[in-house]
Amino acid sequence: MSKVLDIFRFRRKRTLLHELDPRAKFAMLVALSAASLALSDGVSLAVLLVVEVVLLAVAKALREWARSLTGLSTLLILIFVLNYLTLPADRLFTATAMTLRFLCLTTAFSIFFLTTTADELAAALEASGVPRDYSMMFTMSLRFVPSLARDMQTVVDALRSRGLELEKGGLRERLRNYTYLLVPLIVFELKRSLMVAEALEARGFGAVKKVEPYIELTFKAKDYVVVITSALALLAVAWVLLSGTYSEFVAWLRGIFPRV
Amino acid sequence: MALVDLRHVRFRYAGSDSYALNDVSLSAERGEFILLVGPSGCGKSTLLRVLNGLVPHFYEGEFEGEAKVAGLDVRSTPTHVLARHVGMVFQDPENQLFLSSVEREIAFGLENLGLPRSEVRRRVREVLKEFNLESIKEKAPYELSGGQQQKVAIASVMALEPEILALDEPTANLDPLSALEVLTLVNRLVKEKSVLAFVVEHRLEIALRFATRMIVMLDGRVAADGGPREVLLKAGKVVGYPPVTLAHVLLKRKGLVGDGVPLTCEELAEEVIAKWAMRYS
Amino acid sequence: MGDAILVEDVHFSYEGVPALRGVSLTIRTGEVLAIMGENGAGKTTLVKHFIGLLKPERGRVLVFGTDTRDASVAQLARRVGLVFQNPDHQLFAESVEGEVLFTLKNMGYPPDKARAICDSILKLFELDRYKDRSPYSLSIGERKRLAIAAVVSYNPDILVLDEPTAGQDFFNKSKISKLIFKLRMQGKGVVIVTHDVEFAAQVADRVVLMAEGRVIREGGAKDVLTDAEALRRARLMLPQIPATAAILEAEGVSLPSKPLLPGTLYLELLELLDHRWSERE
Repeated sequence: MSKVLDIFRFRRKRTLLHELDPRAKFAMLVALSAASLALSDGVSLAVLLVVEVVLLAVAKALREWARSLTGLSTLLILIFVLNYLTLPADRLFTATAMTLRFLCLTTAFSIFFLTTTADELAAALEASGVPRDYSMMFTMSLRFVPSLARDMQTVVDALRSRGLELEKGGLRERLRNYTYLLVPLIVFELKRSLMVAEALEARGFGAVKKVEPYIELTFKAKDYVVVITSALALLAVAWVLLSGTYSEFVAWLRGIFPRV
Repeated sequence: MALVDLRHVRFRYAGSDSYALNDVSLSAERGEFILLVGPSGCGKSTLLRVLNGLVPHFYEGEFEGEAKVAGLDVRSTPTHVLARHVGMVFQDPENQLFLSSVEREIAFGLENLGLPRSEVRRRVREVLKEFNLESIKEKAPYELSGGQQQKVAIASVMALEPEILALDEPTANLDPLSALEVLTLVNRLVKEKSVLAFVVEHRLEIALRFATRMIVMLDGRVAADGGPREVLLKAGKVVGYPPVTLAHVLLKRKGLVGDGVPLTCEELAEEVIAKWAMRYS
Repeated sequence: MGDAILVEDVHFSYEGVPALRGVSLTIRTGEVLAIMGENGAGKTTLVKHFIGLLKPERGRVLVFGTDTRDASVAQLARRVGLVFQNPDHQLFAESVEGEVLFTLKNMGYPPDKARAICDSILKLFELDRYKDRSPYSLSIGERKRLAIAAVVSYNPDILVLDEPTAGQDFFNKSKISKLIFKLRMQGKGVVIVTHDVEFAAQVADRVVLMAEGRVIREGGAKDVLTDAEALRRARLMLPQIPATAAILEAEGVSLPSKPLLPGTLYLELLELLDHRWSERE
């Protein structure tokens, strides 16, 4: 489970993507997500995925992404199977498309989070007008995701060492066993947030409403390039949705796909 | 007027039946290294939090008595103002270092005050140099060892140049050598900058050598307050004697050592050698 | 006394980073073993192998003859009880007594037997007056005792305690050491993972020092805890009494054996000084 959360954890490296202004990366994220949602056939989505993999390569983050795929695989299979079983026609076509769409979306987000620190994100939010309280809340949650994953693992270990067989038993029994996780985990994380709040207070957070952030965000040439490209991509997505050309393409594709 | 002045302070957390602080009076000045000890639940953590106003502003409850820190009345001064005078360091580095680099951590408190960026940058450079953190300034806190993390925490609060440093079991999760390094740093700040340090600690065998004063709390009251040696003799049964002090107590019964109360190995060894030399001169 | 856990050349890595690089070790019943070293040396990783929470990449771990790869964690846990460092990770029930009953139920005890054991265990750990209260309403020391009580209740042959004294006050530390002595007398094996050298000096029979995933020294407590060089390599300090003895030695006062505890130092000095005094006469 913790492997899945890995794709959202920042890794410090010196790559083009790491050095972009977080707002430019956000524009890129919006464009990639919009494309993932607008496209509805397996072929286009596969192309989109290839584009994203190229970006991951530029960010030197392929290994982290690949490692997390093993964790995501259950979810991916679930999506494929559910679609396949519940659709009236064209099951293979739609199931592949839905699975790829999910993968494109999560990969788009992981490109963003793997190359942006929580602080940069906070700075970007504040520069866009989000009040400091909210941006801090957001980045704190992000920052503690790996801690949460680790605590979860510890509580699971503790449960198992008290003789609870978490892997055995029917679905109902297993679900009930996993609920034992909840109380210690919730209490632990509540205590943690209390301690963090104390520390924030003790360091004067909230003394002044508008602060001058330590991280200075300035747009450089490459950031403009990324934003413009993203804007163009968004326009393309709009065209895809509004014009008839794409729907014709999808219909044609459906035709040549095995009608399973 | 004393830097810290508490008179007949009583505090009960909201929803609690008992008083966490039950008539506590004490005063403290710059340049003191005060060791605050007592069994768990005695009120030492609560007392520490009165210093920067977390009690009663963050932790609600009934507060009685007078509490003045750096001339400010704790009850009516918000924590972010008191934070300029009291730097607080907590036990768990993970929950008090939450930014992506050491440099950012040190800037955080200054940033919160609304200082202009250039001023913040300048102070950060000074602090990095003073605390020898330049080589790790870009590292994320989770990449550092426990001892380094606590040093960064101390540097981050010292960036605001407070007169008082309050530490709540800062070495609980550290190995002995790191614990010694952290407390040595605190001692240096006390000696060189005349900081007033309040340190809550259980590991007396490491912390006692630095203390200029020891306060023992029991059930919300101050049970003993004075020089570490006299207080240790008085309250050793409750807080535990460090091994060398215990050895001394045993040897004294047979008249094998003098009247001092050793807090370190060197002191105990000196006492034994003095007696030894006396017998064979 | 017999061999309970055999660790044979175990290698383990976390995401490609080696945590254990060929560790071999024997845990015996009727003995108290301290596994010591700085944070990150691999101590907790190692003890997780004892009940199969982690399986070795190379080498193997035999628990009472069973390879940990051939049994489930719950099965291994029946004979090896593990108490984690932070009690808040391991309190699952709504009441103190529920906590003990939960463990006993998982370990296969019938309800009436479980109730009897629960009552006597809570009394032993002085938690019986809290039996209907929520575990989270207890103080940190009491929660720690409860976690230990729940694990001791089902009578495992080996008890592993991860940092039992971290952040604990003197009163609780004494209780824990008394418990360890009692368990050893009953023929159980106790493993404590700790960097508290003074506590190890009090309770351990044997000590294993770890650094960077390897065992760097192993032997009787008296030999290892007086080995300044080995302790330094493990980022630990000499306990106070051996450190004092070392200073005395350097000043020409030679003690017949290597004392670890105040009582031993006292007796040896007594003998030495009285003996030489009467010699003179």
